[in-house]
Amino acid sequence: MHSIGMWQKLRTAYTTVYQWLDERLGLGEMYTNLLDRPEPLGNWWNTLGSASLFLFILQAATGIFLTVYYTPSPDHAYDSINYIMTGVAFGWLVRGIHHWGATLMVLVVFIHMLRVFVTASYKYPRELTWLVGVGLLLLTLGMGFTGYLLPWNQKAYWATTVATQIAGSMPFVGDFILKALRGGPDLSALTLQRFFAAHIWILPAVLIALIGIHLYLIIKHGESHFPTKED
Amino acid sequence: MKSTHKFGMNNETKEKIKKRYDQILTRGERFWPDSIFKDAVMALAIFLVLVLLASFVGVPVEPKADPSDTSYIPRPEWYFLFLFKFLALYGQIPLLGKIEWLATVIIPTIAILLLVVMPFIDHKSERHYSKRVLPISIMGILVVSMVTLTLMSDVPTGPTLVGALQTIGGLVIPSLAYILLLFVFKNMSNKTMIWTAGITAALMIGFCGAVLALYQAPPSTTETVATTVVEQIQAGQQLYSVNCVECHGDDGKTTTIKGVKGLEGKQIFAINSKDVLNTLDDPALEGVIAYGRPDAGMNPFGKAYNAQGLSKSEMGYIVVFMRYMWDDRFEKPTLKPLYPPLAAGEIPSYEAQIKPIVDRYCVSCHRPQKVNRSYLMDTYDHILKSGDDAPNVTAGDMNSILMQLIQGQRAVVSGDGIDAMPPNGKLPADVVDVFKRWVAAGMPNTAADAKALPTAVPTAKP
Ligand code: HEC
Ligand code: HEC
Ligand code: HEM
Repeated sequence: MHSIGMWQKLRTAYTTVYQWLDERLGLGEMYTNLLDRPEPLGNWWNTLGSASLFLFILQAATGIFLTVYYTPSPDHAYDSINYIMTGVAFGWLVRGIHHWGATLMVLVVFIHMLRVFVTASYKYPRELTWLVGVGLLLLTLGMGFTGYLLPWNQKAYWATTVATQIAGSMPFVGDFILKALRGGPDLSALTLQRFFAAHIWILPAVLIALIGIHLYLIIKHGESHFPTKED
Repeated sequence: MKSTHKFGMNNETKEKIKKRYDQILTRGERFWPDSIFKDAVMALAIFLVLVLLASFVGVPVEPKADPSDTSYIPRPEWYFLFLFKFLALYGQIPLLGKIEWLATVIIPTIAILLLVVMPFIDHKSERHYSKRVLPISIMGILVVSMVTLTLMSDVPTGPTLVGALQTIGGLVIPSLAYILLLFVFKNMSNKTMIWTAGITAALMIGFCGAVLALYQAPPSTTETVATTVVEQIQAGQQLYSVNCVECHGDDGKTTTIKGVKGLEGKQIFAINSKDVLNTLDDPALEGVIAYGRPDAGMNPFGKAYNAQGLSKSEMGYIVVFMRYMWDDRFEKPTLKPLYPPLAAGEIPSYEAQIKPIVDRYCVSCHRPQKVNRSYLMDTYDHILKSGDDAPNVTAGDMNSILMQLIQGQRAVVSGDGIDAMPPNGKLPADVVDVFKRWVAAGMPNTAADAKALPTAVPTAKP
């Protein structure tokens, strides 16, 4: 029948393309190494790491959209956010997801850490995975901290004032840290510029690198199993 | 050969761990599709939750940052609240509490370091919960105190009952528990540890519950935030009416100030003119409002110079109002009329019609602390009863002082008489007509009062 002939042609076309790509990219190896891996019987608690990853990707996607309209200057930051909320089609949705996603990401990453702690999955051979994870937790909090200032509203301004003041209370180096964070003795356009750069370039770049190492280690050692009386 | 590992785990143990893991894998599942399926379900659930939160809770609106408003009580993002509360409680400890950096720097650093060295302190191969009761208890108490401190973060600390309860529940109990677990009960049994941790957690939750039950939050005084252009214009209009009309007139047209103490007869630029609107951009206009023109007689409105002044957002709304209403480079959107229109013969009320009119044209001068012959127009009662020559307006009296003044006539009262009101312009005819209908009908307060009056009262003719 005509349609079966079509079907057959499509299949051979697909096989040819697949084979061409497989020879060059090693799709088959990728499948066995990355996807067809054996794992201990899983549990819903094991989804929290990938949930953190999903939230990170979602934050990146919505964040990129927000930078299209956001202006990091004290004169325009507030109004540009207001424009995103009222003037841009679905801007409210994207910002809403980014806002709540930040909250949820901190929560999910923290609970992920708790589950790794409770199941003692940080033990040999996964010590490094844990260490990198601590870095990820701190970076996630750093993302929250730097992102909080960006809307340049009262809450943001004063919370950052107080938080940087706290950092400034350190003995000896406090004053230096305060000025490095604020870009001067007071919160100013420079502070906003700095936090913006940290929030969209510096911290995400480090986060991506560390997530890469984290995932490599997880694939290398495999997911740990839930401990039983024998462990 | 028996090689000992630096961190105390020897090769045999490592081999054992690997063997056991391989064995577990034979009874396991595949990453694809088993794990990925669960991960995908979780991701979808998270996405849905976020869409729901974004749609139905939204992002709370906040006024614009105002560096001069030092009265603002700062609040960090919620996941730092526990640290904030901890600092507040810690600050009450005698002597130690004065050394702020112990709490702000040393304690968080120790916490992070503990996380970093965790795999190296807890390096034995045991993984089952029953063999790790101590670390799990320590972490459990930590998590419960983070949660309870976050919940109590809004309650002020201090020498009150709730203050004391917070200190006990948030600081004393967990500290005692840690001392017991780590130093006092050496080599205690699992049972003792579990009981200690359990009782500690229960006590912390109990104290936190008591604090929340006893504490009565003061009514919050949040500034309303306007987001759309129309809302901002309306907010700006209201603020302009109260703060600026006395000198610049209801439409910004005033060129000679009248009726303001100290500035009588002063010549100024009309601020609705191109001269002003085209030469000053938005930040410059906001600057004029914030810093005033002190040498010319305009007081600063910024909070840095004037505690009762305007916030940064509010000054922004006034500028939006000035642009959209007066600047012909901006397209004026359709706005609600000043007062709900009246049908022929319908009786106006204070609430529905007179209040918005008075707020727009009179309140700027007729409020406390202004020169106005003690005539306040901020409430219904004041309009009827206050003033050096009270009553200024009487039901049915079409020749009262107020009625004469708003129709552009001089009123002869005690002393030398008063010039027409408002001093810096004429009221529009429709507004005068509303006043006439209102006075003729008996000056009803609420819209319901107006409805209850017989509508047969004819519209007053001048
Ligand atoms: C106590 C009287 C007074 C009040 C109230 C007042 N102003 Fe003024 N304003 C002045 C005077 C006087 C000047 C100086 C005008 C001049 O030099 O031509 C001025 C100047 C200005 C200018 C600048 C004109 C220019 O050419 O530089 C603007 C804009 C302005 N006022 C806006 C406002 C706004 C908005 C408000 C309300 C928040 C307000 N003013 C309240 C008296 C007042
Ligand atoms: C620019 C400021 C200003 C505005 C705007 C203004 N007034 Fe007055 N009003 C005054 C001053 C000043 C006096 C006192 C005049 C005097 O002593 O000669 C006064 C006096 C009066 C009095 C007499 C009060 C008494 O007890 O003797 C009435 C009535 C009055 N105003 C009504 C109004 C009404 C109604 C409006 C709004 C349509 C209005 N005023 C707007 C400044 C103002
Ligand atoms: C941006 C933040 C993070 C991302 C994207 C992430 C991602 C992941 C993923 C996908 C997994 C495998 C699935 C799972 O076990 O849940 C995993 C496992 C792991 N994570 Fe994370 N993680 C993050 C933060 C952390 C933190 C804060 C820690 C601890 C301090 C940590 C420690 C670990 C460890 C030890 C494992 C191995 C668990 C096991 O094999 O059972 N991770 N992580």
